[in-house]
Amino acid sequence: MTELEDAGLLERVRRGDTDGAAELFERYAPSLLRFCDRMLSDRASAEEVTQEVFVKVISRAHQYDGRAGVASWLFAIAANACRDRRRRDRRANVVPLDGIAEPRAKGEGIESTLVHAERRRAVREALAELSEEQREALVLARYHGMPYAEIASTLGISVGAVKTRIFRAVETLKARFSEGERSWTAAT
Amino acid sequence: MDCRDLTALAAARLAGEAGETERRELSAHLATCESCRAEMARTESVWTALGEDADAPVTPEFRRRTLALLEEEMLRSRVRAFRPRTRFARPLAQAAALAAAGSLGWLLARGAGPVPSAANARPAAASTAAARPAASASRSGISPVAAVTAPTDLGTNPRLSNIAYEPPGADGKVAVAFDVTTRRTVSGRPEEPEVANLLAYLVSHNAETAGEKSRAIQLVSEHYGAGLAAPSPEIVAALTNTLKKDANPGVRKKAADALASLTMTPEIRAAFLDSLRSDKNPAVRLVAVDALAAAAKQSPDASTIESLRAKAVDPQENGFVRAKAASALKAISF
Repeated sequence: MTELEDAGLLERVRRGDTDGAAELFERYAPSLLRFCDRMLSDRASAEEVTQEVFVKVISRAHQYDGRAGVASWLFAIAANACRDRRRRDRRANVVPLDGIAEPRAKGEGIESTLVHAERRRAVREALAELSEEQREALVLARYHGMPYAEIASTLGISVGAVKTRIFRAVETLKARFSEGERSWTAAT
Repeated sequence: MDCRDLTALAAARLAGEAGETERRELSAHLATCESCRAEMARTESVWTALGEDADAPVTPEFRRRTLALLEEEMLRSRVRAFRPRTRFARPLAQAAALAAAGSLGWLLARGAGPVPSAANARPAAASTAAARPAASASRSGISPVAAVTAPTDLGTNPRLSNIAYEPPGADGKVAVAFDVTTRRTVSGRPEEPEVANLLAYLVSHNAETAGEKSRAIQLVSEHYGAGLAAPSPEIVAALTNTLKKDANPGVRKKAADALASLTMTPEIRAAFLDSLRSDKNPAVRLVAVDALAAAAKQSPDASTIESLRAKAVDPQENGFVRAKAASALKAISF
């Protein structure tokens, strides 16, 4: 879908077209949910925040000015919503436990499930060790294939700052995986 | 190229951000620098390892809930668009509403035959939300008095729900029916029946989203946890029911956490045993193990010990739950 079609979709939402909102959901819910899930490390919170993002999009569709792409605008709302949620959770002392809520794939044995869960948990723990800013930039680049310029526009920072955040994130992860190399290798 | 630039350049290459010149410089440098080749390999291995993290899927249940929520929000946003635009509209609307109510009262008091059209008296600014005239009201079985209820003050941006539209009739007039919700505040000590019943109602019935429900449970947990106040049976029932039936695992876990903070009772124990046996989410089952084990340390009971023992050796159980159940059993003296 082109940027023009995205903007048309948002215009339909602005006009109150329910089908437009449903199309926007189908188009962006998977990636926004993935982003929120990695930022919050908790599936249930990620679903709630993704819902909040779409509700905000409906009430703020008229504020979209076309300066950034629709995807950037949506991810910017999601990044802010995740920051708000983490701040609130920190105050309420909520500890996400999603790492162990790994759904079991059909036909997968218990040992294989545990190994997979362990690997996923190791990655989640490593991501959780990054600062919020580093994680936002890295997740957008690594999992969403977003160009640095678009990440900069989404997060409201310079391209140089994006490069620095990703550089620091990768350095932290390299140190982390080097420390736990033995257990990581065993798990993989 | 300097060795210090390696990580940034390597990450840029992996992210598809390195230009032709940078890629060439990097390759030339790697050909001559062994330590940078090792660093490049480490960076690549980190990038690959991140791919181990599975993507969260959009489940059919999440899609259904969210689309329903969005539809409701769209309806609300449409109704909000009817808000009066000028500062003169609201007083005019109020004056027109008073006039309509006065005229109607006068006619009813005189026992006059036909009830005047509400539409004639309705304010221009609220025309789209006005009631259908008496003829239409009679047709739909609504009493004429109900049909000319004073118009809602849209200037206060009320929350409108359960909206229904009727297309134009022979007279060309449309009808929009809705419920208006108003904000109220109930204050009192958590143990007072009015507050306790309200909290129980919020937990069991009235939350629209998982977030709202979780916050209601959090509130209950803060008020009644750690023995600050004794929860009413209604609150315990609302929490156990949520633990048993809520479709959202996050909400069930929240209910389990709240129950774990309360003093253990036979009802709560039964709910945890049921949850340990049948909840699909291991995080919820883990809370059940912890809560049951903590209670059994004080006062061991056969059903708890039997359930923990079954979980500790169940090969189908999640490894974390299995390990937790085994270590809980060790800590219980029986």
